[in-house]
Amino acid sequence: MISLKFTDILKRNHELGQKLTGSEYNIGIISNITINQIKEVLELNLREENINANVITGDYDTIVQDSSHFSQSDTVVVFWEAGNLVEGLHNKAHLMTEEDLDVLVCRVENEIELVLRNLKNTPLVLINKFSSFLFYSDPLRNEPLARLCKRLNAVLESKVTSNQIIVDIEMVFATVGLDKCADFRQFLSSKALYSLEFFKAYTEAVTPALLTATGNSKKILVLDCDNTLWGGILGEDGPFGIRMNDMTSQGKAFLEVQTILRGLRKEGVLLALCSKNNFSDVEQVFLEHPDMILKEEDFVAKKINWLDKATNLRELAIELNLGLDSFVFIDDSAFEIGLIQKELPHVKCIQVPKQLSEYPTLVRRLRSNFFLLSKSVEDERKTKMYQEERHRKANVSQFSSIDEYLRSLQLKLTIYWDADIPVSRVAQMSQKTNQFNLTTRRYTEAEIQRMLADPLYTLAAFSVSDLYGDYGVTGMAVVRNNEEFSNNWVVDSFLISCRVIGRNIEYAFFDELVHTLRTRNINRLHGEYLTTAKNSQVEMFYDTLGFTRTLDKENGKDYMIYLSDYKGQDIKYIDII
Amino acid sequence: MSEVKQKIIAVMAAVFEMNIEDVPANSAPGVVEKWDSLRHMNLVLALEEEFSIRFPDDQIEQLITIELIELSIKELA
Repeated sequence: MISLKFTDILKRNHELGQKLTGSEYNIGIISNITINQIKEVLELNLREENINANVITGDYDTIVQDSSHFSQSDTVVVFWEAGNLVEGLHNKAHLMTEEDLDVLVCRVENEIELVLRNLKNTPLVLINKFSSFLFYSDPLRNEPLARLCKRLNAVLESKVTSNQIIVDIEMVFATVGLDKCADFRQFLSSKALYSLEFFKAYTEAVTPALLTATGNSKKILVLDCDNTLWGGILGEDGPFGIRMNDMTSQGKAFLEVQTILRGLRKEGVLLALCSKNNFSDVEQVFLEHPDMILKEEDFVAKKINWLDKATNLRELAIELNLGLDSFVFIDDSAFEIGLIQKELPHVKCIQVPKQLSEYPTLVRRLRSNFFLLSKSVEDERKTKMYQEERHRKANVSQFSSIDEYLRSLQLKLTIYWDADIPVSRVAQMSQKTNQFNLTTRRYTEAEIQRMLADPLYTLAAFSVSDLYGDYGVTGMAVVRNNEEFSNNWVVDSFLISCRVIGRNIEYAFFDELVHTLRTRNINRLHGEYLTTAKNSQVEMFYDTLGFTRTLDKENGKDYMIYLSDYKGQDIKYIDII
Repeated sequence: MSEVKQKIIAVMAAVFEMNIEDVPANSAPGVVEKWDSLRHMNLVLALEEEFSIRFPDDQIEQLITIELIELSIKELA
């Protein structure tokens, strides 16, 4: 857009204006200088996004009156030029006494209050910061006009409401270059100050706010893994050959990028993965790699498979109920970028630059695509909310019952016993799992090893896979002899990773546990639920399994069952391997 | 018609929102309805971008016919 010539802007804007039929989005621009050329540029930038924008410029130097006239607009933009607060102030300020300036500040302060009050119910107000830069840019001098601006900006900052955004116009000056921003020919002839180039850059800068206000901003950033989140190729270099730490400058670029992405996530931008890799390899990196800044829970969805990425992005859009025009896609491969651009032209595609030093800046600048009007605590929770929503949607929309859905998943449970369990992962799960965890006992690797060597303990772990992939080792149990009676055992620990709950795996696993204990002639099994702040979802677990409650303790409940009475849930659709 | 003139007419068509073939040969403020002071500035800026030139201060107000515009552009080129 910014590269278009004015002639083409006028032509295209006229065409689109006749083509767009949706309800008009009215933008009022009020100012104390002439700013007419922004109309066509701003309209076009929004019309290109299918927003039927209609820009109306107010009269010359009637900001207060226009703020009232335009208060019903969808958006109001305020160009309040300090140099024209009184005729010729940009020069006259030097002739004024401090008292004169005080009086002026006082007058404008009142006007600011009035304008902001008039615009307090307008959905979006963009008000430019007062600036003296176009007239004074000597870094050694604190000119009167600059001091005046500083005072007025302080007023602005203290008075704006949440719908009113201060536009730091000096950042736009910096982008364009000061000398290219002003057109003093027009300033002398018609009190127009800004160049076309400025208006193009200004429009680019504020468009994200307007896209957010119209529900058209980007919402999700979909990332490849190899050479996008880390340097190197996981499948070839292995988990410890990939680079994302500060040992190398290449690794450092990815470290920076991951940190920036995490910040975006915190601000409410949704992150998702789309990578051609083995699911479990990537999962292992997220779970175990010490250099990963981004964690598994930072991602709202993961498409780690060997399907083409256009298919994956389409699926993501459906699962998350987001339009593809709200997607940004980052990949290092020109092939993948080309595919998405061709198949899904609404997705904004970013290729990782060949010069990695440019990569962090590129990602930092992406932030403006996800402009958020008001920050809320929900932002940080948003990823989780979407995850839940997606889960729910998948269950409800396509399947008449949960069981039918679960049957379709082709769940496979591989159970490992005693010496076969993956010790470090089991210890890790005991330390990290909070929700589906009956007793929340934390064990180190050494402790797990000791239990494995002790005949009074039996340990089990399982991994799960389904139609969509392999979830890895995601649950474990520790059962120990209750010492006094050799056929009387107790479930010391029983936990399932929250990634695989909701699939009735816990019942299939418990059935297998009981089955094995029976073969060892154990006839009584005790269960224990220890209350924590996070494990209320398993409060009734033993009740569901038919255990008898034997004791209500301050911190939980004890249970017991004769294994001859254990019926089990007999989940038919989970294959046990 | 010279290439410069063709381009000028194309720019005028865009600025005054008309078809190229409808741009009158004797175009001037008053002849072309939409040629007001505001659109005059749009025309000047569009021409400057189109030809990568910058009109001197004193010429801006004189760019009021196709011939004058063409002359001015040729001088600057």
